[in-house]
Amino acid sequence: MTARKKQAFRQTPWRVQLRVTSRTVQVTVALLVVAGLYLAVNSRLADAGRQVLVLEDQRETLQRGNSELMAQLAEKTNPERMLERAASLGYKPADPDEIFYLQVEGYVPPPAFVAPRPPTSRLEGVSRLSPAYTETLGEWMTRWLTPD
Amino acid sequence: MDDSLADAGLGEAIPPVRPSRLRIISMMVGVSLLALGLVVQLVRVQFGPYAPIFADWAENSAGRLERLVPARGNIYDRDGNLLATNATRYIVEVEVRQLGEQSRHDIAATLAELLDLPFEDLKAQLDTDWISVGQFRMRLTQKDEKGQPWPISIEKPEAEILFALLDDPLGPDLSGLDLVPAPRRVYPAGTLAGHLLGFVNQEGEGFFGVEGFYDEWLAGRPLTIERPIIPTEARVAPDPPAGVNLVLTIDSGIQQAAEIALEEAIDESDSESGQVIVMDPRNGEILAMAAWPALDPNDYDEWLPGAKPSEGEPKDKKGESDEDEDKADDEDDESKKEEDDPVITPAVAGQFEPGSTFKVLTMAAALDAGVVSPLDPFVDTGEIEVGGHTIRNWDGRGWGPVDMIGCLRYSLNVCLAHVAANELGASLFYDYMTAFGIGQITGTDLAGEIPGNLRVPRDPEWTESDLGTNSFGQGVSLSPLQLMAAVSAIANDGFMVQPHVVRQVVGPQGVFAPKTTVLGQPISTDTARLLTEMLAISLEGETSHASLPGYRIAGKTGTAQIAGEYGYDPRWTIASFIGWGPLPNPRFMILVKLDKPESSPWGSVVAAPVFQELAERVVVLLNLPPDPALMPVAGAG
Repeated sequence: MTARKKQAFRQTPWRVQLRVTSRTVQVTVALLVVAGLYLAVNSRLADAGRQVLVLEDQRETLQRGNSELMAQLAEKTNPERMLERAASLGYKPADPDEIFYLQVEGYVPPPAFVAPRPPTSRLEGVSRLSPAYTETLGEWMTRWLTPD
Repeated sequence: MDDSLADAGLGEAIPPVRPSRLRIISMMVGVSLLALGLVVQLVRVQFGPYAPIFADWAENSAGRLERLVPARGNIYDRDGNLLATNATRYIVEVEVRQLGEQSRHDIAATLAELLDLPFEDLKAQLDTDWISVGQFRMRLTQKDEKGQPWPISIEKPEAEILFALLDDPLGPDLSGLDLVPAPRRVYPAGTLAGHLLGFVNQEGEGFFGVEGFYDEWLAGRPLTIERPIIPTEARVAPDPPAGVNLVLTIDSGIQQAAEIALEEAIDESDSESGQVIVMDPRNGEILAMAAWPALDPNDYDEWLPGAKPSEGEPKDKKGESDEDEDKADDEDDESKKEEDDPVITPAVAGQFEPGSTFKVLTMAAALDAGVVSPLDPFVDTGEIEVGGHTIRNWDGRGWGPVDMIGCLRYSLNVCLAHVAANELGASLFYDYMTAFGIGQITGTDLAGEIPGNLRVPRDPEWTESDLGTNSFGQGVSLSPLQLMAAVSAIANDGFMVQPHVVRQVVGPQGVFAPKTTVLGQPISTDTARLLTEMLAISLEGETSHASLPGYRIAGKTGTAQIAGEYGYDPRWTIASFIGWGPLPNPRFMILVKLDKPESSPWGSVVAAPVFQELAERVVVLLNLPPDPALMPVAGAG
């Protein structure tokens, strides 16, 4: 340090404090910005992860509910109940001599019942999160710098 | 302060206080030691002897292992009516670390009142120090009759009450209580086709019938995954491979008609049990399979080995139980209990001596071998000796001159024993029976099929008298479905088809429809048609109990004695009828079997009318119009 500067600092010591303070503040702000960014990214990541868990739970609940409803519907329309309901409405099984068979030309019987397919399995977990949530800064920079 | 400097506006510079060298060195050493400690600890954590433990902690804290069980496949009848699907039950669990003194009491009291369980038992479970043994979550249990603890499993209505109480801030303190959903198999049609379906236990394993046979396909493939507990690590979990959906060959309308007809027959004849099977003889599709006592797969406990019989289970016949009590010691009681355990899916898992229905196979063999023809005469003297064993007719008398049609019409044991012993001979007879699949499983797609029992000449236990008795269905045992498969050869132009109950297997990859499997051709097409004609004629002459106005039917009655430890029991019979129609292109084949009927022992009296009643419904449900040419004859008859 030159004598002139020494003289200046000796005459205005607050300039030293100002310089130290400003540099400290710069570093602190920089750290805060990085920490803020990190916190923001992580909170969004955590929120997305939480949503995944909640949605999976909802899907399971809905699937259980669907299954319950199917079972209830089948229970309410099972042959025994239908027979009881038909009887209560005054119907009875037709005797053979009460049936008149009519041959209809060109009649095409309905196609045979085909059961619905069960869902296709997904063996590997599919991450639907954006890479922004999962990659490191280095990975992001590499991706950004690497031409497609 | 110096005045001259003060006047100049400048304060005198305070000479900096230089910290002592010792302080600086001390600080540097302190900070260096701290840094060194951190580095040492880092190395120790990464590479030291405790490294695996730390790695394990890291691993465990990353997530928890979870077993993903796919939904079990549904089962439909051929028209899409749902026969088996899944619902939800709830397992009562407790998070131990959330329990307090008040919640322990309130949880025990609430569950005891809601589920009618002993409060003390629940409280004792909650008061146990689970944390000391490293368990933080536990399932509450209840004890069965034998004192065996089972996890408490509750249904949706009870669960909804508990969920409401958990949400109620003014309700009891249920902190720590958790209801974990688990799949439950439900059968919406109740007892309909219960024996055919089988059931699924609480662990999700299928037993008996379709559930047992197709268990692995229906269940899918469970996966074990690591579910992260840190939200940032959360990913969409993989879906385990789902179980297939099955479409059965069963027609619910025919199944219901068969069950109603069987139940009425059981009531009217006061039989102990019975079965009815309806099959399409062209392709082996089972259209209905009914059994009594009925099995409700939703409530299978009473069918487990050693369970107490409940309403609807086989009745003790008069005099039998007292006699047995007098004779049997404890060991015998045990073995008798096992024998008396009701058979699930008796169509494949139960065996019986078929009696006279077996005569159609003997006659088929003789006709096919060319040793007899329909009008060959036979003089029935009322008894015949085969291998030193005297065989008599069902009524003990001789029927004089008859032809082969008469032998079938009057179901003459003596005539059929003569045909087997004197015309066919043992070698040919057993070759044909083997070709008919007697003593072998049919390979049907139902769990628990048994092969039955047929002694052949190469067996050391076989005697020549077996040939005589086997010819009319005695001394040979088979399952009802085995009899159906064998007789299907006669109804289906000589081709024996494999009975089956699954029409479609629908998986994620597509639809697979099993094709008809021909098990063999034990007799020629001409023989099959000839015998069918003989049986139709004999049926028209024998009884009107099985006839159907407007349709030609072929069939044969059966009345078999029941073999016991001390020989054939004179008190009880198995009455049966097997028939098919409408001729000449049969679309259905029906077997009716009633065990130990009391009103009459004869198949023609108790089983044939059930066939008639059911066939009348089946032709309607299969849209089979009557033959107008047969109507006036039937009407006149």
